[in-house]
Amino acid sequence: MDSEIYSFALKTTLNEIQNLCPDIKNSFIFKEDGEIVAGDENTPEKTIVRVIDSFDGILEKAEALGGVEGITLESSKGRVNVCCMNGFYFVTVTMANADKNYVNTITRVLFPTVLKLVEKINPAPLKNESREPEPRPESHIPEAMAKPAEEMPIEEPRPERPTRTLEPETKPELTLPEPQINQLIVENIGGLLVPADTVRIDNETLLQWQELYEGRKIEEVELETFCGQSTRVKVKPIKDSKFEGKGIVQMPEKIQNVLEIRKGELIRVKPVIE
Amino acid sequence: MVKTRKEVQHVVALTEPITAVEETTTVNNIQTRLEEIKNYKGVVGYILRNSSSASLDLKDPTKIIDYAIISSSSIDACQALSELFDLGQAKNVAVEGKNVKMLSFTLEENKISVFMDKNVDSERILKKLRAL
Repeated sequence: MDSEIYSFALKTTLNEIQNLCPDIKNSFIFKEDGEIVAGDENTPEKTIVRVIDSFDGILEKAEALGGVEGITLESSKGRVNVCCMNGFYFVTVTMANADKNYVNTITRVLFPTVLKLVEKINPAPLKNESREPEPRPESHIPEAMAKPAEEMPIEEPRPERPTRTLEPETKPELTLPEPQINQLIVENIGGLLVPADTVRIDNETLLQWQELYEGRKIEEVELETFCGQSTRVKVKPIKDSKFEGKGIVQMPEKIQNVLEIRKGELIRVKPVIE
Repeated sequence: MVKTRKEVQHVVALTEPITAVEETTTVNNIQTRLEEIKNYKGVVGYILRNSSSASLDLKDPTKIIDYAIISSSSIDACQALSELFDLGQAKNVAVEGKNVKMLSFTLEENKISVFMDKNVDSERILKKLRAL
């Protein structure tokens, strides 16, 4: 089970939880580093990103409280509940008249059980996940093709990206893997000598891509926002060591404007292989 | 006409100090209540701030900055998420840590955060402050 299928399993769980408890309007899961793990079908990713941004200040200083276990926001028409477990933040939005005990049973009992179960079935995604929004080489098609037959029928979790569907029978084993997609956080980059058509990402990611694509040098990447805007730009490794390993993509303002995106938002980045 | 204008000016001149006195009274009432609450077993301190002043009393002064950031961020988050999910008026936010929990809410213009041990009944504190 690679991390995308893992996310798919969790997404399905969230949708089922909502079927079970219609009082839950929205639910999603994110990690400590801000990476979105899964969200229900009612919640756009942009909304999730805004929620994560809103919690930034609290989570950054959470150590002063001994680390966050939960956050509850009450409003006149509903409630937002955040439950933290094993580095995952499970967010639920409920109506004001929702049965608190029932919702709590689901968020604090059922969900951790599902999480543990999924982890037990395949611990790899959970171990890879933590604090590392870095590429996951194990999620490529050659490995997926090597998986047992019973795992193959599982559908691709992102139906809007038909190019990524698994086609084990039609693809020869020696073809290059599908371009790997990374979700990175946009960070500003500025200065007089900064080229306006180049983004910077972790050198480690570039090296992993290079290794994956048989030594081909990755000079360009395709950026795609969750709103569907995309562009192709040059890529170079991050220079400043303090930004390394943080799962960010440094992007000049001009590209941010083209993509209608801003600092702190998530973006999909994949290498261009020609 | 001249006479009417004078009357209006007089009313304006009168209402401003009354409002100021009322605000001061509210802040004083909240502060008095917070001082009482601070003596409850397990309560570790509070932060009270509005547009013109701020007062805080924490048992561990080394955590003042961290607590102030958490307090401010949580109240902002509460308002932002209420708007984002169309949940109406933000009422309060509770952040539960492994050691300490914080209860924050807005009372008129005053933003209040109370910090307490995990086992303290935060509902009781909320009721006491909301009763003002």
